[in-house]
Amino acid sequence: MTYILRTNHLTKTIQGKELVSNVSLNIRKGEIYGFLGPNGAGKTTIMKMISNLVKPTQGEIELFGEKLTNTSFQVLGRMGLIIEYPIFYDKLTARENLELHCEYMGYHDKNAIDEALNLVNLKGIEGKAVKDFSLGMKQRLGIARAISTKPELLILDEPINGLDPLGIKELRDLFKMLCKEFGITIFISSHILGEIELIADTIGVINHGKLIKEVSMDEITDQNMEYIEVMSNDCKRIAYVLEHHLSINNFKVIDEQFIRIYDTQISQSEITKALVLNDVNIESIQTKRSSLEDYFLSLLNGGGIHA
Amino acid sequence: MLKLIGLEMKKFKIRGYFRTALIIYLIIAAFMCLVTWGQTFEGETQSPAQSYSELLPMMDTLARVTFIVFASVLLSRFVIDEFKTKSITVLFMYPINRKKLIFAKLLIVMGFTFINIILSNVFINVVYFVFNSFLHVVPNDLTLSVLLKHSLSVFMNTIAASCMSLIPLYIGMRKYSVPATIITSLLIVSVFGSQINGFSLNSIIIIPVILAAVGLVIAYISIKNVENVDLIK
Repeated sequence: MTYILRTNHLTKTIQGKELVSNVSLNIRKGEIYGFLGPNGAGKTTIMKMISNLVKPTQGEIELFGEKLTNTSFQVLGRMGLIIEYPIFYDKLTARENLELHCEYMGYHDKNAIDEALNLVNLKGIEGKAVKDFSLGMKQRLGIARAISTKPELLILDEPINGLDPLGIKELRDLFKMLCKEFGITIFISSHILGEIELIADTIGVINHGKLIKEVSMDEITDQNMEYIEVMSNDCKRIAYVLEHHLSINNFKVIDEQFIRIYDTQISQSEITKALVLNDVNIESIQTKRSSLEDYFLSLLNGGGIHA
Repeated sequence: MLKLIGLEMKKFKIRGYFRTALIIYLIIAAFMCLVTWGQTFEGETQSPAQSYSELLPMMDTLARVTFIVFASVLLSRFVIDEFKTKSITVLFMYPINRKKLIFAKLLIVMGFTFINIILSNVFINVVYFVFNSFLHVVPNDLTLSVLLKHSLSVFMNTIAASCMSLIPLYIGMRKYSVPATIITSLLIVSVFGSQINGFSLNSIIIIPVILAAVGLVIAYISIKNVENVDLIK
């Protein structure tokens, strides 16, 4: 696998504050890389450094196998970008904005604009001035602009902000399609876990400017074992029963009401039976999979991966 | 480079600015005509101009001053506003040398200023000449040599003014402020364009030359910095 984008101990300090410290990302060709982190974690700063809008204090960036310098600009022609939020020339219409974009990019396919607008489902409004657009429409237009020149690498910073659920789904499908059919590598950032979980192949988790973990989705799925969650008002007793009657040690008391059993050998019905036989009140019992959210939270809380 | 300039002009709809400039020509011409004409009624002895050759520098100054201020408006639109609204990040994500991008913008401002000062001079002179030939407000003492000498001085002044018009960029770029840009240009013209008994700072030849040089240095600095600057905000 070749890497399309790598950062090597990337650090950015502004006025003595380290916004990004020592981040090394590895993004492979043809994958969707989800960049996950809470607000203010440094996602945008890193993306700005990759697009050469901000210069790293230390470390380096390698794009398409070449080192990015202050003066490199050719490489930008192979990328499509939305950084922070989509910015347009507000007084111009959507079409004029895209036309300018294609001209500047040196891309002269007449149909490109229409195709891009079709892909993001923006039709019939391209004659309207961008200043009259809603945030969601601007996001779509920004994506249209980014994909209109068929880039090899798409860098999308929070692309689903301001979109309705249906729009999010549409774009998710679009990103997957772009990745699969056109082989476009996508580097997408978000603070919304569920979204990243649904599309990413690899996930980088960042917090306070530090890359906490870079892990492939498959790996997480493997690690994410099933567990049985029991809801009851008497967790102590359940714990007792589990330990002494079923001899299970691999469980965790979440709070007063919930208890999670991570042992995969034992079935749900066996537990239920044992609990009922020992006279424990159970309000509910169900099998669950821990989601990316749990994984993410556990990472952010500083711990490794629990149980 | 030409293509970049073309795209910039298309983006900011430069035609509208030329239309505005045309209106300015008309206003200056009308102003000159009315002021000199009005004086013939009042019979003032201290008329600002006794002859045509004295009027010519006044028209030139008026045109120059106006378009230096106009240039600051263009600078605001083409450069300052782009940084302020962050649309410059759009521009900087193109596979184009950033120095060239800024250079193109500054060239447009300089070119616009240059062309318009020259054109407005020609226009105002012609209008005034026609006006004067009907109403004989001032004695026509125009000779070819006067005209040639004036043309040369207009040309040199205009070159200086085009370079000078970039000075507000320095102030404006500090906080990406449009008002600061325009006020700086007003200050510049009020200091160097004003006349006291026919004497102005602009007539000391070294001063416009220095100012023009300052304008060029500022342009150079802004272009040079553009690759190293962080666009974090």
